[in-house]
Amino acid sequence: MKKEYKVIGKPIPKQDANIRVTGKAIYGHDILLPGMLYGAILRTEHPSAIIESIDVSEAIQLPGVHCVITADDVDVNNIGYKRDHPILKKGEANCTRDEIAAVAADTKEIAQQALRLIKVNYRIRKGVYDAFEALDESAPQINKFISGKFENKNIAEKFHYEHGNLEEEKKKSKHIVSRRFTLPRMTHACMATSNITASFNNIDKKLLLYSSTQVPFLYQRDMAHALKMNPSDIRVIQPVIGGGFGSKLDMHPFEPICALLSIKTGRPVQIIYSREEEFIASPIRQPMVIDLTAGVDKDGNFTFREINIIKDNGAYTSWGATTPFVIMQAFSSLYKVKACRFDAKAVYTNNIFAGSFRGYGNPQATFALERVIDLLAGELGMDKADIRLLNANEKGEVTGQGLHYDTCGHKECLETVIEHSGYRTRSLQNNDKRYKRGIGIASMLHVGGGAKIYRSDGCGTTLKIDPYGYCTIITGSNEIGQGSETVLAMMASEELGIELSKIKVINTDTDVKPWDVGVHASRTSFVAGNSLLGAIRILKEKLNKKAAEFLKTSHFDFDYSDNMIIPVNTKEGIALDKVVREMHFSAPNELAIASFFYEPSSKFQDKDFKGNVSGTYAFAAQAIEVEVDTYTGNVKVLDIYVAQDVGKVLNPLLLGGQIEGGILQGVGYALTEELLMKEGRILNPNFHNYKMLTASDIPDIHFYPVETLDKEGPYGAKGVGEAPLIPTAAAIANAICNALDLDVLDLPIIPEKILTALAEKKGTK
Amino acid sequence: MDFEIINPATTLELLGTINELQSKHFRFGAGYSDLLMELKKKPEENLVVINLSQIKDTAFTGLTISPDHVRMGAMVTAHKIVMNEQLNKDYPVLHQAALTLASTQIRQVATVGGNLCTASPSGDIACALVALIAHCEIMDSTGKTKSIPITDFFLGPRKTVIKKNEFLNGVLVSANNKLSKNIYSAFLKIGTRRSMECSVVSLAYHIQTDDDGDIIHAGVAIGASAPTIRFAKDACDYLIGKRFDHIHQKEKEEFATKVLSYADPITDIRATAWYRKEVLYNLSKSIFE
Amino acid sequence: MIKEHKESRLKEEVLHVISFMLNERQVTCKIKSSTVLLDLIRDHFSLKGTKPGCYEGECGACTVLINEAPVNSCLYLAVNANGKNITTIEGLVKSDGTLHPVQESLIEHGAIQCGFCTSGMAMSIKALMNQYENAQHVPGDIRIEIPTRNEIKKYLEGNLCRCTGYVKIIDAAEQLFAKEDQ
Ligand SMILES: Cc1cc2nc3c(=O)[nH]c(=O)nc-3n(C[C@H](O)[C@H](O)[C@H](O)COP(=O)(O)OP(=O)(O)OC[C@H]3O[C@@H](n4cnc5c(N)ncnc54)[C@H](O)[C@@H]3O)c2cc1C
Ligand code: FES
Ligand code: FES
Repeated sequence: MKKEYKVIGKPIPKQDANIRVTGKAIYGHDILLPGMLYGAILRTEHPSAIIESIDVSEAIQLPGVHCVITADDVDVNNIGYKRDHPILKKGEANCTRDEIAAVAADTKEIAQQALRLIKVNYRIRKGVYDAFEALDESAPQINKFISGKFENKNIAEKFHYEHGNLEEEKKKSKHIVSRRFTLPRMTHACMATSNITASFNNIDKKLLLYSSTQVPFLYQRDMAHALKMNPSDIRVIQPVIGGGFGSKLDMHPFEPICALLSIKTGRPVQIIYSREEEFIASPIRQPMVIDLTAGVDKDGNFTFREINIIKDNGAYTSWGATTPFVIMQAFSSLYKVKACRFDAKAVYTNNIFAGSFRGYGNPQATFALERVIDLLAGELGMDKADIRLLNANEKGEVTGQGLHYDTCGHKECLETVIEHSGYRTRSLQNNDKRYKRGIGIASMLHVGGGAKIYRSDGCGTTLKIDPYGYCTIITGSNEIGQGSETVLAMMASEELGIELSKIKVINTDTDVKPWDVGVHASRTSFVAGNSLLGAIRILKEKLNKKAAEFLKTSHFDFDYSDNMIIPVNTKEGIALDKVVREMHFSAPNELAIASFFYEPSSKFQDKDFKGNVSGTYAFAAQAIEVEVDTYTGNVKVLDIYVAQDVGKVLNPLLLGGQIEGGILQGVGYALTEELLMKEGRILNPNFHNYKMLTASDIPDIHFYPVETLDKEGPYGAKGVGEAPLIPTAAAIANAICNALDLDVLDLPIIPEKILTALAEKKGTK
Repeated sequence: MDFEIINPATTLELLGTINELQSKHFRFGAGYSDLLMELKKKPEENLVVINLSQIKDTAFTGLTISPDHVRMGAMVTAHKIVMNEQLNKDYPVLHQAALTLASTQIRQVATVGGNLCTASPSGDIACALVALIAHCEIMDSTGKTKSIPITDFFLGPRKTVIKKNEFLNGVLVSANNKLSKNIYSAFLKIGTRRSMECSVVSLAYHIQTDDDGDIIHAGVAIGASAPTIRFAKDACDYLIGKRFDHIHQKEKEEFATKVLSYADPITDIRATAWYRKEVLYNLSKSIFE
Repeated sequence: MIKEHKESRLKEEVLHVISFMLNERQVTCKIKSSTVLLDLIRDHFSLKGTKPGCYEGECGACTVLINEAPVNSCLYLAVNANGKNITTIEGLVKSDGTLHPVQESLIEHGAIQCGFCTSGMAMSIKALMNQYENAQHVPGDIRIEIPTRNEIKKYLEGNLCRCTGYVKIIDAAEQLFAKEDQ
């Protein structure tokens, strides 16, 4: 039975859209504090070099320069997930992003001019730019701060997982397919470049940061550790954020550097990246090489998967090194598979270091897995849709890794896109000599209710109603453009019967808001939503009691609507604001406030990476049709059919935006986007050659939400943010292979790769 | 990026400014879509920019279509070309080239003069104008003009025949052949995405046939395939007299081979030389498919 | 290392006096030769709605209207603004706070996520409306029909958006022309 809601499920525009569409929203770029200086960072000229000397004397003399810092001027701790990353580099440079010195000056121009006056003597050394080379015994140790916990000095992190009896399943396999897949560097390219404004008050020694982090509380702690301060002396305020997608999960060196400049000068300091700097010095999606061997029995049942992954970690370790948590989930638990052995190593190189990016390793894993499924189907002579449906996950399943699928829309998603795309009925008219069409299918599994990778995956909420009937939600979670604020306001409106215009969401200030782990793992609507619903429950108990007292009734069953509290099955109620005033101003004088901390039921995985890591799981499938121009290698994506198990549609307008935006990032990953590197340097640090898709490139997207109403989720909803881009590259690759009978192993599938493959097939190259 | 700017309001003032600055380092600025990026990347010391965009003379800013020719002042923008119905009808190659240049916003400012004088091997309008065998009208600081065929205009990447006391005043394109019955004309631009691309390879062609469908005129130019945009003369000559819709496979291949003989591409981050040649060959054939 | 005393740098610079219409108000200011319009608008006039996304002419976040046409203000010399009529996102809203139909449509269609591209998008869509309206009067110009969906996509090619996948932005623009048709 479907419940009828008044607000939930309605296409309600983002609550602050009017502020953003009029240019009134204040982003980091727009902040201007009295006395503010401009900071700038000098980065290394060489990706791998000994720094013999740094001379800042001329820079400091330049009129308008207030302060110049190098590693020698600061007393700080390393940063990063493994604390292997010095904020300012001393003695050596290990990647092209390395920060050597920083200045604060009256204007941006003077700051840039000062950078040019800093003289650094480098002794260039041969770098290691390939992860396999870095694993060689003869390779130098790239990061000196790592403890040497692993068998090779250049391994930053490693993961091993297995379930089932691999050898036995191999024997049962009729066909076995092995492939090596190579995945590129993709960057977030948020439309707003990275920025921070730091203001240190040297009277009370407190640091105020206007920062676009997506995890303010972890950030506060990391910043305190870096600067050797007390976390509570650091206040983080988030201005409006111009795009996140995972790029703001880690704290990056420019942030503590900006704080240091402010501490040294006693003035507010602002650092804003140029676009080129954004390309050079912000994180990327993990590049990796995936060796995948998988088997299938004679009936088409998946038997085993064996995976070996080498990830290019770059010179330092970020949260991105933990992506195998997610990658192994896809391999162990997407489709039923009896045995799985998974090994992944993150290897130091002198390349730019990787970070986290929407999908968190899953687009890479899904690309490899779904390509191999097509190949297995081919070996068996089985239909590519049938093999997927046969092996699809099911409700009630507990996977080899211990994930509990209490609800599961995997099969339904697959069936939906197979049907709507006309996969079974279509005939791809491929008579044309030049243009060839193909269709591909791929699906995905992702955490849908947060992911317990920190001690807590929880979120706090404080809720208050004022004597005028307005409601304020103070939530630990935050908004990075995805619309979580609006979804929270809608929930409050639904439950409390207060119209949206009377609901305010406060979520930008660590001094005010309760704890939350931050925006990641598609968790915000789920975790913050449940937290809010918890607070509402508590507040309603108080309100109900007062209302009952007022209405002199003894039953506590009330409807909240139109700013009224109305006993169920009656017409006469009492105004909400009146009840609140009664609470406040008559004995026993109580506030209409409630606080709640929600911790999802998920578990921390054991040392073998087993356990139910998320509150719920999201599934999706995509069927994509492409047309390839065999004269040029250009791929035109024609139609994308997407079905996604979202639990429950909370707001179709915002959901659609997440789906479409994610898909286009996925198309870019598949076809055009790659940060090209040579000998540790980035060759295309600009929008001209880093090819993000434009409005004229977009395909038609057909979206079919699948509602499975998860009992854990708010109104049954699951996390949706990351899923849309995860299967896209896989489905496009499958479609291209279908059109041209190729075996695509690398992304992005640029036109030249297609022509090369065609020429190799014909034997003309 | 730092420079001084001088703003002549008429061609006469422009001539005076050029004369005065002969001993100094100066550049012209038209729509600035190339110049500012160039100066940001490589700042030039003691630079004076002569701003062409305040000059009002119609010979410099106007687009005129007469029975004999089309004349575009150097300051005519890509947008203006795109919007002109007559150009779209008579010279689709030019319309299409202008339409694929950069973006809507850049087309508002990007000028014909800037596109030619930047002398980029991948200049789109320039490539179309080469296929149209345009003539460049160059004026010197005494006010004298000369007209040279566009094929003589480019000397190399970023190099043209324009001397320090000269500037480009306008471009002339001859009217289509009076006997021309059908026009097969297009600009084929290849890149990774559909917009905001600098050509990886481009092919411009403008072919006219008579009443019988025989080719009486052919202009074919290739972009991003050699140090300058090139006019594929042999390939054009080869077509004269052939029936446009009866060109068989062998002839297509021969034509494509002739076009390709003008290509001398480089390998860069956008594509390899091999790819550029492969595509150019395929596109050349595609004209007749 | 901290600097003890500071002087501010005073290099002799030639300044140009320019005057133009900015959001329907006549303004006059002094600028350096190399100042670009984007910096003038944001820093001198404190109109922060126009966004700097790249300073390379590639992203369109800085789009403003100059004599009704869309231009990348990051690559436009402020000197050339002299005598022109310039509209920024702030100029779309009426003084009583009423939003422009372009803005209403973007909101209604859920076309705004992080919003950093939004000002530029709104200006480009407004420019397309201008072009459509003007084309009714300019002889020799091509377009007098309602722009098709594909033409809208093409028109917006110079405005990058990383969040929305463009679909809802295009929907918002299309709807505006559908309305005009009636
Ligand atoms: C984002 C972006 C995308 C682009 N995409 C394309 C593209 O797709 N295709 C393409 O072809 N180009 C492209 N360009 C390059 C550029 O827009 C074009 O070359 C444009 O036509 C240049 O014209 P302009 O008026 O802006 O030239 P300016 O930048 O003003 O000048 C360019 C050069 O020509 C000289 N010059 C200008 N006018 C004259 C004259 N009358 N006499 C003598 N010298 C003169 C200048 O001194 C300067 O050296 C792109 C540029 C950008 C920023
Ligand atoms: S800032 Fe002007 S186009 Fe990007
Ligand atoms: S809404 Fe974020 S870039 Fe467009």
